[in-house]
Amino acid sequence: MEMRGFSYYVQGIPAEQITVIVPRICGVCSTAHQVASVKALEDVFGVTPPPLATEIREVLLLGQLIQNQATSLFIFTMPDRVNASSLFEMGDDQESKARQFSLAQMSLKIRKIGTDLISLAGGQFIHPIKTVIGGVTSSIPREKADAMIKTIEELLPVAVDLVDNYWQMSLEMVDRIGTWGDDEPTYYLASTEADNFRLNSNQLRVMCNEGRQCHTFAPQEYENYINIEASDYSYAGISDFQGHIMRANSLARINLTNSFGTPKADAYLKRFDEAYGKPAHAILFFDLCRGIELVYALEKAKQMLETDLQNGEAMVRYQPRDGIGFGLVEAPRGPLIHRYEVENGLIKNADFIIPTVHNMLAIRRALMVAAKRYVSPEGISNELARAVGRVVRAFDPCIACATK
Amino acid sequence: METPKDLPKFAVLQLSGCSGCEVSLLNSDEWISNFQLVYMPLVVSTHKIPEDIEVLLVSGGVRTDEDLHNLRKGASRSKKLIAVGTCALSGGVAQIREGHISRESYLDSSHRLRLPSMLPRAYPIDKFVHVDLYLPGCPPTPELFITALKEAENAKIASIVCQECGRKKLTDMRPTSISGPRSGTPDPEICLINQGYLCVGTSTRGGCGALCTRPGHACVGCRGPANPYLNKDPEFVLDNLRRVFTRMTDIPIEEINAALASPWLSLFLGQFTDYTQDQSLPQRTKEKMI
Ligand code: SF4
Ligand code: SF4
Ligand code: SF4
Repeated sequence: MEMRGFSYYVQGIPAEQITVIVPRICGVCSTAHQVASVKALEDVFGVTPPPLATEIREVLLLGQLIQNQATSLFIFTMPDRVNASSLFEMGDDQESKARQFSLAQMSLKIRKIGTDLISLAGGQFIHPIKTVIGGVTSSIPREKADAMIKTIEELLPVAVDLVDNYWQMSLEMVDRIGTWGDDEPTYYLASTEADNFRLNSNQLRVMCNEGRQCHTFAPQEYENYINIEASDYSYAGISDFQGHIMRANSLARINLTNSFGTPKADAYLKRFDEAYGKPAHAILFFDLCRGIELVYALEKAKQMLETDLQNGEAMVRYQPRDGIGFGLVEAPRGPLIHRYEVENGLIKNADFIIPTVHNMLAIRRALMVAAKRYVSPEGISNELARAVGRVVRAFDPCIACATK
Repeated sequence: METPKDLPKFAVLQLSGCSGCEVSLLNSDEWISNFQLVYMPLVVSTHKIPEDIEVLLVSGGVRTDEDLHNLRKGASRSKKLIAVGTCALSGGVAQIREGHISRESYLDSSHRLRLPSMLPRAYPIDKFVHVDLYLPGCPPTPELFITALKEAENAKIASIVCQECGRKKLTDMRPTSISGPRSGTPDPEICLINQGYLCVGTSTRGGCGALCTRPGHACVGCRGPANPYLNKDPEFVLDNLRRVFTRMTDIPIEEINAALASPWLSLFLGQFTDYTQDQSLPQRTKEKMI
């Protein structure tokens, strides 16, 4: 990732310190960066974290998914559906004001579950610190897990309501605007597994145009499959899959998922697949898919917290060594890879393959589709600006690179 | 119910940072009922900074000409300005490796078409505008945001992180090297310095609730210097830390010195002390610090 220049800044620093520095690449996905960074160094040093640590890291990443999807759904894209400029903008009559106020509060409450999970499993709530080389610094005490379970149980129905509401609003919006957006087939990229949705992932999968899973590869092999180029228009790069446009993020994961293994999310998945087919291609589905994932992450976090995350070895000893290592996680926006080259204990080279680069061609194409629809010889429709906003928010590009 | 439209206007201006400060603010919902959020590019889709703002929070350092322009405009339209986060107070994590040769190649590659151009370095915002209140942290906790917004005058902030940490400092547990992080699960009750960690909680401003040290990670100093070290020469702060480590450990002084020069400390400690070297910057008094 080039915008904030981290690849350059970290050259020459002691390798073991990089895990504190790189989460500052992006406060929105700091959790994913921190875990990817630790995993890359573990790969260099030949360290295998204990199973308890792997589980706690998964809870941490679920927290991030909840926080991100709740933000994207309720804070960023819900206003599109009610034609407001923000969730915090209140209507004029008393009734709509009250409704808006409660929507805002409920949304922030759901979002806060994600934040609390990040704090619980990650120590810090933004740039987490518990994940370290060798495991996690401390486990999750039973009573804290129980308190969290209680909160999730209380708020899961609220989240389901919000998601249903959101789904309904989306259908109404699509009736109004007459399209779900760019629905040409593309390739899809995700690192979660088809029947085992793990964000603390190990390999990448690709779905080709005809809807078939056509490639599986380890992060070490990414250069054989994915081509990344710099761009003149943004500090982020642009990638393609052997010449094909691809997409990452929620829709890619849903297209590549057979089952979540949690009841409510699986019911939504079925409803989605039956309504829109598999793979589904239209870009506004990204938003619906975020809703499904939000429900999944809440259910799964609860399931995981019900297991014993308190006892057992949390962290193993290690000795550093030189070499090259890769760290992969499924971030909310898609697979994130850190690649480090360590020489004499120092970072010689660092590469950050941020998920948004995989969507850049797809974003560009979706914007063209929107432009074709709203720009004609007669003039430019007022709807264009809104359509552009909807496209950008559907892909939910990494803010650090998208806003600069 | 009081209608939000009557509440004081509150805006958030984001310069070059990581968005973490904004994410932190969104982690609290207490302000919703006290303020009307009128501008925050992350969540409110309006592109103009409104007039008559009561409180403007600024996060991020000044790194591009666009940052500088927006900062001046924002400051002129608000009654009160709060600098939020390490980036706004010190230029930011973007400053790490300042002066390093790689910066030049980076600048070359950033001088591309259509991108805001880079200033020679990243600056703290009080180099350009008057700041009423400073809220350090990377990011500051949601609780600290609320303190800054609602009760800055009577804020009670722990003087140093150790006060909130609760780990016990032992006299008979003297590590001989900084090898804590490589040694498996840390003991949950004992001071991390005793366990061979480079913790700088002894000179770092409290208020964060010792978020990092309680679960077992060394404090890296993101809240910046505690009051006695404000506006002090970098050597003064480092000397103090050196004293702590020689008093509490048998780690060779060379190793301590090398560790104190480490990038993860320069992320915060180095930046805050760097600040004192620029004579054109205003003094920061403890009354203005949260
Ligand atoms: S202070 Fe920290 S959290 Fe805030 S913008 Fe800067 S790097 Fe991000
Ligand atoms: S662990 Fe750090 S913050 Fe806690 S008491 Fe020791 S020095 Fe202070
Ligand atoms: S413990 Fe130290 S590094 Fe962690 S939040 Fe507090 S001041 Fe910042």
